[in-house]
Amino acid sequence: MSDVPQNAGYMVAAYVVTAVILVAYAVSLYRRSNQS
Amino acid sequence: MTLTQKGRWITLVALMCLAAVYVRALAFTPVERLQGLAQKIFYLHVPAAIWTETAMILVGLASIFYLFLKDARLDRFAEASAEVGTVFATIVLTTGPIWGKPIWGTWWTWDARLTATLLLFFLYVGYLLVRGAVRDPGLRARYAAVLGICGMCLVPFIHLSVFMFRTLHPQPIILKPSAPSLPGSMLATWLLSLAAFTLLYVGFVTQRYALSLMRDAHGGGSPSHV
Repeated sequence: MSDVPQNAGYMVAAYVVTAVILVAYAVSLYRRSNQS
Repeated sequence: MTLTQKGRWITLVALMCLAAVYVRALAFTPVERLQGLAQKIFYLHVPAAIWTETAMILVGLASIFYLFLKDARLDRFAEASAEVGTVFATIVLTTGPIWGKPIWGTWWTWDARLTATLLLFFLYVGYLLVRGAVRDPGLRARYAAVLGICGMCLVPFIHLSVFMFRTLHPQPIILKPSAPSLPGSMLATWLLSLAAFTLLYVGFVTQRYALSLMRDAHGGGSPSHV
């Protein structure tokens, strides 16, 4: 296990960024349809 | 149940599926020995990339049929698919460099696959800008359709670029003529993620289509009114 590169931070960043983008777009659609 | 409500339910189920993907990828899928935990970005990056390209192909097909049939539903679908494709392209272009940095040692390189994907993103943005800039509904739909068809033509080049040029980007390990070169547990996680992104696409497009429908009903101007 010690040979495995220690780069968990990059994985966490990618997972957080993806979740933020998707949830932000879902919220944007929700708000826009409520305003229409 | 209205179209908006259907879209919201599908999106909710999709987000729950995505949460399951997060749990499965982080806790129940083995760590790749050479790349470490950064390899798990694969479970988000690749399905998002597949739907970025598929969304643009669907925009292009809807645009071709729109130019022949002048059916406003096709224009609305193309608009919805383009907006959702832009969201997925944003995910691809952010998770890609985050994955590239620890593996390649650089955030970005101007190789064929990456540059063509960036061009596709700009085409998506250009498509949405054209739709926002042209007031005449008929002209707007026609201009957008031309851009949509251009975007569709770019997609095969993006997919084949790793075979045509020497690139830093790896060749496909799933979407290739031979069997996927992945262990079963990794493939299962990836397939679950692909299903989640598929549902996300359907849910988002349904909601976005319903928005366009409401806009047209309130006199926003569908091309069929011209």
